[in-house]
Amino acid sequence: MTGWVKKVMFEQYKDIWQRRELLYYLVVSDLKAQHRNKVLGFLWNFLNPLLLMGTYIVLVVFIFDMGGPKFPVLLFCAILAWRWFTVSMERSVKSVTSKVSVVQTTRFPLAVLPLAMIMTGLVDYVAGFVILIPLLFIFDATWSVNVLWLPLLILVQLVGTIGASLICAVWGTYLSDWEDILQFVLRLWFYLSPILYSVSDRVPERYETVFWLNPFAALLESYKNILVRGEPPSEYMVVPAAMAVMVFLIGSWYFAREERKLVKAI
Amino acid sequence: MEVVKARDLGIRFNVGKRRLISARSLVASGLRRIRDESEEFWALRHVNFTINRGDTVGIIGRNGSGKSTLLRVIGRIYPPDEGEVMVRGSVSTQFSLGAGFQAELSGVDNIYLNGILMGLSKKEIDGMLDDIIDFAGIGEFINMPVKTYSTGMHSRLGFAIAINVHRDIVLIDEILGVGDAEFYERCEKRLESLIGERTILLVSHNMESIKKFSNRVIWIDKGHIVTQGEPDDVIAQYLGS
Repeated sequence: MTGWVKKVMFEQYKDIWQRRELLYYLVVSDLKAQHRNKVLGFLWNFLNPLLLMGTYIVLVVFIFDMGGPKFPVLLFCAILAWRWFTVSMERSVKSVTSKVSVVQTTRFPLAVLPLAMIMTGLVDYVAGFVILIPLLFIFDATWSVNVLWLPLLILVQLVGTIGASLICAVWGTYLSDWEDILQFVLRLWFYLSPILYSVSDRVPERYETVFWLNPFAALLESYKNILVRGEPPSEYMVVPAAMAVMVFLIGSWYFAREERKLVKAI
Repeated sequence: MEVVKARDLGIRFNVGKRRLISARSLVASGLRRIRDESEEFWALRHVNFTINRGDTVGIIGRNGSGKSTLLRVIGRIYPPDEGEVMVRGSVSTQFSLGAGFQAELSGVDNIYLNGILMGLSKKEIDGMLDDIIDFAGIGEFINMPVKTYSTGMHSRLGFAIAINVHRDIVLIDEILGVGDAEFYERCEKRLESLIGERTILLVSHNMESIKKFSNRVIWIDKGHIVTQGEPDDVIAQYLGS
């Protein structure tokens, strides 16, 4: 057991740590290249979640006539975090195959490819606060010291996303169908997570226990609690925290096992 | 001193209907199982050779004979499926030119990205940057996105990086045929200056350049070494086959 942990965790991440400059360069070149061709350039980083929020406001407020006075800012909170996750997953699926020529000519820890996608997403996520903070004022959010929980919530999401993305990167390489499957999984997951609604006002009581098994239930509600409602994180945060660690361990182990085989499978 | 040593080396690929099979039996078995069901193909098998420090080894053979696979093994990309391989020292693995180029970024940005991919630090690249830019000789284009490059400029930059990055073992895969006559001459000169100083593996279909640079030649066919030794002998046999 200890030997296993040492090999998977220690050695793999030591390798990655030694190549952190590579990770940094991948993220920077990704960010540079991302919106290079577009007239609005980096503004898209802000426009993207804003427009998405606008679309859902039309859906929920005007079509379904729901959502309270703070709905837009609660929605934006959840969308920002959710987008970080989905974009990381979607891009991780192709992270190895899209770099085929590099992967087949240069030896480096392949895990940096999905990791770079996650870090790029994290930069976008943090940049989203430039929009979120004014929204918090506009919609009269309740401030409290609970905001200090934010780094911890981000850490939980980061750890879980790393694990899930590593698994996605392997499956996406072996199986091109995985990309299509993932799209539907994420779509369904989106509706099952408290993004367009909050757990307290939409989820029937008898399903609530099951509902909390979705790690994004507690995670997204906690983001909303600490940022908008001025409350502590959800008491169910233990679910996403435990799952994140588990998925991280499994993903890291699985990726380490498959890494060199991936190169041949492309 | 031996820098590369392969003993009974074998590299196996799973080919055939992998994707179709995998989609069908995904539910029944794990991803791992599926891949074992597909057909096997040995890109290299029972390969034995030794390369000493300072050697320039020419690798020849028909298309699909396993030459590039061999370079990938030495570049530590493929672990052996059979036998053993020992590689001592750092390897310049940029053997397909401009492999890691990010089309949206400038030439300079790509030099950094490539160098760092090869395991250099930013500082080391800072020191090589001028040499690489000089050698590529593509003028103002070095600050333009790589997607605006012509094929020739693309290869020039790729070769400039590969040849100017200081590594113990340099792998060159059919890249002497790039660029115009002037650039070709410069490549040859640069290569000549490296001979003896570094260990070089050269894959080429151009027997003239193989003869000119190599002190040993390995002829591969269908994943096996047919013969290896003196360039003139091996090339004569290869051409006579």
